Amino acid sequence: MEAALDNPLLTADWASAKWLWWIGLYLILGMFVPWTMTRTWAHQHRSKVRPTLGQLFQRGELGLAGLVLAISAMWDLQNSQYAPQTLAVGSVILALSGIMAGAVWIEGYCRHSTGAEIHPKRVWRDSRNLAFLILSIAGVAEILLDRFTKVMRL
Amino acid sequence: MSAPAPALFPAQYHPVKIRLSDPAAAAAWVSLVFGMVLVFLPVSFPHMIVENWQNGRLIPAMIFLTALLNGVIYLRAAHLRSAKPGLLTSAWLGALTVGTVVGFSVLLDAAILHEQSKLIPNSQALVNEEILAHTYWGLISGIFLPYLVIRFTQTLNFQTKVD
Repeated sequence: MEAALDNPLLTADWASAKWLWWIGLYLILGMFVPWTMTRTWAHQHRSKVRPTLGQLFQRGELGLAGLVLAISAMWDLQNSQYAPQTLAVGSVILALSGIMAGAVWIEGYCRHSTGAEIHPKRVWRDSRNLAFLILSIAGVAEILLDRFTKVMRL
Repeated sequence: MSAPAPALFPAQYHPVKIRLSDPAAAAAWVSLVFGMVLVFLPVSFPHMIVENWQNGRLIPAMIFLTALLNGVIYLRAAHLRSAKPGLLTSAWLGALTVGTVVGFSVLLDAAILHEQSKLIPNSQALVNEEILAHTYWGLISGIFLPYLVIRFTQTLNFQTKVD
């Protein structure tokens, strides 16, 4: 059993870092680009609007982005050769985290639409933490998938 | 009419209102650390996990770790919201944590049987990867799922009281 782990294919290399690029794309396109676009818009319209990330995503939009990322990671997991139990477990956890992240955005939207009391800081914190959880889970899931693919090729 | 004397109205009991962002942040950090250790120690870390699983120490260690983390998260939430930790919620949280991790160990056994039934030369390596994956999912679920259940329980209780 121990010999199975001592395989040079499992050691870290730059090819294994592709999951980092995959996660980075979500961060760049999902957070940095929209934030940069607000700056560009403000510059074009000579506006003094300079929103922070917290202000830009204060209605829980990050929760929605988290849900999209969870779906993407679930899809990758479903296409792997893991045992059905592992696939089910991983998919359920990702789905639950994604749904709860999406619920933050939904609640924020409903409260805003009905004029109910809303705490933008709380919505931002909840959506940020849940999106961080999904990002972190998706990253580790990709690492595990990468390892499993290498082992399958042995 | 004068205000009532504070002594006649003792401080009302405020249960700890759980928000999912508390366990989510903790689980995210645990996940990040797990991922980093896996990247920088790709052989020795899985080796340690598999060895502990063989010795029967993995599940008790996971129960201890998740229960400890959940206790810290719960007490921190109580402190931040100036609420009193309830005995019933604490017991329920503990039971859910243990139940989740033990449930995952049962699923791991089923996954191992599945991999062994493949009858391929490297099935042992696949079993090791299954143990690694289930350890990860078990840790994250042990932190997140109990709070998810408690959150729903609290929401249902609140709605029942409102109705």
